[in-house]
Amino acid sequence: MKILINLITGLNMTRRTIKMVLLLYVLNLLFASLLAVPMFHSLKNHIGPSAVGDELEKGFDYLWWEEYRDQSQGFEKTFTPSIIGKGALLKNWESLIQMKFLNYPPSLLLFGFLYILLHTFLAGGIVFIFSQEPPKFTFKKFFHGAGKYFPYFLGIMIVSFTVFFFILGSLTRWFGSIVASSAETSVSEITPFILGIIFSLVSLVIFLFCHIVFDYARIKTVSEQRKNIFKSLLSSLNFVVKNLGATLGLYYLLFAVTILLSIIYISIHSLIPQVSLWSVGIVFIIQQSFIFALIGIRCWLYSSQLKLFQYLK
Amino acid sequence: MRKTLFLGTAVLFFLIPIVNSAEIPFCPQIANYTMEVNLDTETDIIEGHEILSWKNNTETPTDELWFHLYWNAFQNNQSTFLMEASHRGYGLSDFDKDDWGYCRIKSMEIIKNENFTGEDLVSTLRYRQPDDRNEMDQTVFSVKLPYSIQPGETITLSLKFLSKVPRPISRTGRYKNYYFIAQWFPKIGVFQDGTWNCHQYHSSSEYFADYGTYDIKITLPSSFKVGATGEYKNKTDNEDGTSTHHFYQHSVHDFAWTASLDFLRFIENYEFTPGKSVKITLLLQPYHKHIKQRYMKAVKNAVKYASLWFGDYPYSAITCVDPAYNSRSGGMEYPTFFTGGTYFIVRKGIPRPEGVTIHEFGHNYFYGLIGTNEFENAWMDEGMNSFLDTIIYHQAYGEPYYSEDYFGIPFVFKKVTKPIESEGISSHRQTWNMDSMQRFSWRFMRGESYGANSYSKGQLMMLDLQRMMGEEVFSEMIKEYSIRHWWKHPKPEDFFSVVSEFAGEDMSWFFDQVVYGSDKLDYSIEYIQNQRIKPPLGFFENQYKTAQKSEKNSPLYRSEVLVRRLGGVKVPVDVLIEFRGGKKIIEKWDGQYRWKKFIYKTPVKINRAVVDPGFIHVLDTHRTNNSFLIKPNKSAPYKWVMNWMLWLQHAMELFTKLGS
Repeated sequence: MKILINLITGLNMTRRTIKMVLLLYVLNLLFASLLAVPMFHSLKNHIGPSAVGDELEKGFDYLWWEEYRDQSQGFEKTFTPSIIGKGALLKNWESLIQMKFLNYPPSLLLFGFLYILLHTFLAGGIVFIFSQEPPKFTFKKFFHGAGKYFPYFLGIMIVSFTVFFFILGSLTRWFGSIVASSAETSVSEITPFILGIIFSLVSLVIFLFCHIVFDYARIKTVSEQRKNIFKSLLSSLNFVVKNLGATLGLYYLLFAVTILLSIIYISIHSLIPQVSLWSVGIVFIIQQSFIFALIGIRCWLYSSQLKLFQYLK
Repeated sequence: MRKTLFLGTAVLFFLIPIVNSAEIPFCPQIANYTMEVNLDTETDIIEGHEILSWKNNTETPTDELWFHLYWNAFQNNQSTFLMEASHRGYGLSDFDKDDWGYCRIKSMEIIKNENFTGEDLVSTLRYRQPDDRNEMDQTVFSVKLPYSIQPGETITLSLKFLSKVPRPISRTGRYKNYYFIAQWFPKIGVFQDGTWNCHQYHSSSEYFADYGTYDIKITLPSSFKVGATGEYKNKTDNEDGTSTHHFYQHSVHDFAWTASLDFLRFIENYEFTPGKSVKITLLLQPYHKHIKQRYMKAVKNAVKYASLWFGDYPYSAITCVDPAYNSRSGGMEYPTFFTGGTYFIVRKGIPRPEGVTIHEFGHNYFYGLIGTNEFENAWMDEGMNSFLDTIIYHQAYGEPYYSEDYFGIPFVFKKVTKPIESEGISSHRQTWNMDSMQRFSWRFMRGESYGANSYSKGQLMMLDLQRMMGEEVFSEMIKEYSIRHWWKHPKPEDFFSVVSEFAGEDMSWFFDQVVYGSDKLDYSIEYIQNQRIKPPLGFFENQYKTAQKSEKNSPLYRSEVLVRRLGGVKVPVDVLIEFRGGKKIIEKWDGQYRWKKFIYKTPVKINRAVVDPGFIHVLDTHRTNNSFLIKPNKSAPYKWVMNWMLWLQHAMELFTKLGS
């Protein structure tokens, strides 16, 4: 019940600060444009005056794509047919859970790092706004919070990176080696497949658990004015373990909402053939609404977690 | 006359019940093997007794015999095969004493000869290294004969050999209770053009052998299920808990077999064309039982369509083996017997197991019936057979979908299909300047060049030829080439000559560039220019004309299209010129010089130009530059960058979990 109460309260807080969600969305869009613009020019230049452009307007031209792929460099290599619909989402989830993103081109990794850095800055503003009674978004307040808590959040980010890359990374590699050695001695491909799925789920659970702990560390830093990030992290871990059912339950409920939203997006996306300008426009609106909703859910998660923290304190 | 007729009839009368029509050879039986072999599954040792009857089918006498001992490639890491494989990163550091494989000759005697019966040849045995002089390589040996075998003469030998089954390295070996036994016995080379053609075993080469009859009895524990080349004659249970399986096949050039405790065996008779049937045996892994129908249908489609394209499949049996996981025996071909390969999750539209099944069955033609030298002319079997599997797959199933695996689960992208022209072009595009197609298999710059030149470019060349010659003529040609060379060893020139015969012209200009050359085929439209012709201005035969406003209703344009040859391969091409209003002109260009301009003086502008509008030349490495539009499509880049951006935005949003 306490989960639902805090979820509803969090949702209301998010609704009241919809401008902040909009700001975060705009920043996401602008940041993505930093790569989308060169990608657009790369595609445009490769298609050039060719009639293949007409084919690409109607659908995906596999023959053209192979040619594009064979000459592409850096982040251009991520342009594959899998960006269509479900592929885009599945690819990202697999990349995250199995740490496959480390194989991405360096330019893309740097870009991702900079975005995380930006987001670390913004997270201070988000939590600060939600910690106000009543939460009300103003640019001044938002950036005041963002600037004030950035050094602490940056520290948490560094610890978070250490945990994810070194500890979870080692775990993922270890899981991978178990799957590989099982593959060498198995009677069929089913055993390594099942092991792979189990390890992916275990990795996901551990990953999400760590994420919850880091979330509450940020919340504690803001609401308790903590200045020692390690103490924040330990206190957060203690809080999450003590209230495991509530903290995990709330997180997993919102995780389920994200999955549901993704399924809805994939279903709608697959129904609309992008063959005309207006249908392309509609798909663009749907896609951006999906991203907007995801950002909204992230804010909803922060507000609900903050409320739950205050509720259980 | 009457008496002779009577005698002849009497002989036939007695022959009919004895000689089954299915046992009448299709061709001269040059290398005939009768073997009795025993597999000890405790030690993985095969003890064999081989009676080899070899006929000198050439015009040249010979006093030596050359043999392959392929399994000696797996006896140590200094063999040519493993040295070449190690350069590609293949390691054997975890190999134990029992993991290596080899083949040893225990005795070799001449039999059925008036003067030399019992003559031991082992003392004359000498390992040979014709390809690289690597003295550690023992995959080829020769023996000296006490006499010369004259043209048309036959020699019969009795060999006793011992083969140790290796842990799977490549194509053969034992994995758990699954055995795949290929290239496992002392096998005579091909005596051709007055010399022995008997290459060492290389990591990227296949085989070459003469046709003959294989009459093989395999003894092993009764609990094993067995499959092999040819017809399964019978099984005899022995008192010691073993069974002897008898297989027989004439007019083939190899014999391989498999045994496993786990096989599920399915047998169906399939009438692939009215009056002609084949017995299909499918040996399936239990964990792929649910894929049985897809495998079986793929074999049937392969037999049916291959028969239409390349002549009716002549043998009475075909055995398809679903290889055990990790056995490294998947996707290999042997006469009337081949391995497929699949994954336990199958999806409609992903060619698994169909692609590999059709390909490996197809080798019954390009390698089996048409016995090309795979060591020397790999494109003649792999290239042509890749063409076979592609056209048959597309004919039977349509265009396959693009797919990707996430978390080990294959996902189908139904909005992305792979057209036939995309098969192999990417690997050709990336390797076109590394090698020419015509190279000995082990002499390619890199493994991917061997693959691209033997498989991809060979296939693309066939598709190109099909479109150049027209489907009807090409179909007649390829069937004729096929049937004309069944049970023979055609060389590239034999193929070229059949193509030229059907094309009605000497096609060496094409093959010289594509088979022996290492250049690319790439034509492009550089630009279209539409320039309004200005009104006359200046002196015209003493008449001076001043600038006047042109008549608005009848402007004239000087329209120009520049077509360029960017690659070294020269082929004649069509150029489509389309004018505003829909008028189209097809121009012919011999494609010889580096460029050609087409200039028109017309009242309407040119809208579009396409070089090779019929997509004849699938070898063209860059198809995108083949067309030019005056008004290019502007929305396509927006559409696709938008989709890509969604992926990026989602990634950004998701990956923030790593740090904030």
